Amino acid sequence: MVYVARFTPVSWQAAGFCLVAALAMATAVRADQLADIRLKGELVCGVLATDEPMSFVDPQTRTIIGYEVDLCQAVARKLGVALSVKQIAVAARIPELQQGRVDILAASLTHTRERESVIAFSLTTFVTGQKVMVRRDSGITSLAQLAGKRVVTVRGGTQEANLHKVVSPVDVVTFETAPQALIALQQHKAAGFINDEMSLRNAYAKLGPANQDYLILPQNVSVEPLALGLRKNEPTLKAAVDAALRELEASGEAEKLFVKWLGPNTRLRYQTRPFRIDSDRVAN
Amino acid sequence: MTELIRNYGVYFLIGQFPHGPLGGLALTMLLGVAAVLLALPLGVLLALARISRRRLLHWPATAVVYVVRGTPALMVIFWAYFFLPALIGHKMGQVTTMLAALVIFNGTYFAEVVRAGIQGVGRGQMEAARALGLSHAKTLRWIVFPQALRNMLPSLVNQFVATLKETSLASIIGLQEVSFIASQVNSQVVVHPVAIYGALALTFFALCFGLSRLAHVLEKRVAVQRLELPQADG
Amino acid sequence: MSITGQFDFSVVTTGAYRSWLVSGLGLSLQLTAISLALSLPAAATVALMRLSGIRALRGLGTVYVEAVRNVPLLVHMMFWYFAMPELLPQSARNWLYEHDAESVCAVIALTLYTCAYMAEDIRSGVRAVPVTQLEAARALGFGFLSSMRRVILPQALRIVVPPLVSQTLNLWKNTSIATVIGTAELMYQAQRVETDSFRGVETFGVATLAYLSVSLMITAFATWFHHRFPARSP
Repeated sequence: MVYVARFTPVSWQAAGFCLVAALAMATAVRADQLADIRLKGELVCGVLATDEPMSFVDPQTRTIIGYEVDLCQAVARKLGVALSVKQIAVAARIPELQQGRVDILAASLTHTRERESVIAFSLTTFVTGQKVMVRRDSGITSLAQLAGKRVVTVRGGTQEANLHKVVSPVDVVTFETAPQALIALQQHKAAGFINDEMSLRNAYAKLGPANQDYLILPQNVSVEPLALGLRKNEPTLKAAVDAALRELEASGEAEKLFVKWLGPNTRLRYQTRPFRIDSDRVAN
Repeated sequence: MTELIRNYGVYFLIGQFPHGPLGGLALTMLLGVAAVLLALPLGVLLALARISRRRLLHWPATAVVYVVRGTPALMVIFWAYFFLPALIGHKMGQVTTMLAALVIFNGTYFAEVVRAGIQGVGRGQMEAARALGLSHAKTLRWIVFPQALRNMLPSLVNQFVATLKETSLASIIGLQEVSFIASQVNSQVVVHPVAIYGALALTFFALCFGLSRLAHVLEKRVAVQRLELPQADG
Repeated sequence: MSITGQFDFSVVTTGAYRSWLVSGLGLSLQLTAISLALSLPAAATVALMRLSGIRALRGLGTVYVEAVRNVPLLVHMMFWYFAMPELLPQSARNWLYEHDAESVCAVIALTLYTCAYMAEDIRSGVRAVPVTQLEAARALGFGFLSSMRRVILPQALRIVVPPLVSQTLNLWKNTSIATVIGTAELMYQAQRVETDSFRGVETFGVATLAYLSVSLMITAFATWFHHRFPARSP
């Protein structure tokens, strides 16, 4: 493979420089996004809408609902603006935010050090681990046994990279949405399905009596702190969002939201909330 | 099957509307129509540039056509999605992005159809018109184009059908058109993939087959009209 | 979008990313070659079916062509990967999943789709050969199939090759759609590299260049063929 710049005619190089300039201008530091949002009167929140219970479409009412949608609702209320929910694809989360098509990401976004170089994060809103769900009849009971096998997951997230760090060699096949990957597992196209624990528990519950055929391996492939995504260099917006989240935690609303979507009466049946919304430091 | 239609039929047809943006089959059709209406003028401009004798118009137009036609539609969509807003300096919604990609992609195909149509009208027409004193532009506008249009009509309808099929690629950037919704419904239901994807295929078939029948009828009409043209004297 | 706003192509042209992209390109080429090898004889068969004197065969051929052409390739891919395997008996399904189901289903979808279009081009080419040729062959005692093989098809070849090359170009571009069923071809790998490296322009730029290179080679072949073997008029 050769560098494009060396072999293209001059007119292409000129176009390339124009593109760089345009991109640089487009990503120039805006005056104040918080002020813009207040002016617009609307907070545009990017969600996946395919990841129950974080954000998903209720087929009966055809509206997008979920834990992260409610979090965004709380932030919008605190900022004093209306909420507009926008569905985006997993792989498009960061580009959508960077290009200003959404103001904030509530899209099952893991806070990683790597991503800190391109976007900013709010306080951690959820802590989960990535685990692998396997078919019982494959006889796999530990992560190590996945070596040489095929594992499916969703494209554009941290799942693939994380699995490669822990199991080697492993054949990872990705699909556009997590539900499609689950279908692939059910159709015996792979030995395992890696996703965050909460989504796996949701899928496990949805399978109903058929979930006897499946097993969620107890080992964590990684620990995933999820947070709301924000554009870099917007300190006032981050302060406002973090303040809204701290208020939710202090008033007990955060706990109530957790119970509403993941508590003992839901499919996921978490008995207690294993985290608090109070920090935006992450290990890696 | 009836239960599937009862539970998800409305979602399939119009997406989340009015609780959200318009989606489903309605979005597919709207996108197709809008893309064709916008791509056609672009195609005409590109075609005129391609047949122009001025180098400044001819070479860039040819380059654009070759580059866009050599690239997969999906790649054009990704470029539009990730980089067009930065290029324009103005943010674009998903539908606008998809529309832009479709217009660029189909505009180049239309350019070729229009170019073939124009070149299919005999040189004699152009020469006669110029001999009568009409300018190059006027000849194109009043003499060549109307005749070329009749030739092109079936190809244009075929390209419309192709555009409708291309809208399905929007599901990859998360746009809630009919294929995306079918996948979502399949993920919810799990146990009826044949019925769901079969229904999706049938929907497209009904839409596209109907339109290509229309193209067929138009083709016959054009041929018939041709025969009815009065012959020149002498 | 890169971190500093500067483009650094060396990131995607070296190391692991390069091997991902190269393996993707390799698979795309393989998918094209295999689908082409399967489509050509299948298309010839379908074309002959549509031209034959037996009504049932003609009907079957028409149904196949219309059913395939009016449904988007994306929907074909979804159907063959997510729906069709569920209809197979368990043993066939296990065989399929052990042998790279993503690529197999992609080839099935691509072959059936391309074959329908190629069959139409072959049929048009055959019809362009004057009917007197067929009549003469029959008069000399050749059966329908023999006449086709010895007299009509060789003449039709010159007319048919340019549109077939055009369909091959479409096939090459269509392999990009296999990404939606998890086939690790070039588009899939480009998305994978972009997710990991955050370098969209560089990744998609290199991938686009790869697609364009092969597209231009195919187009160049078509031009060469047209000059070397122009279609003779009777």
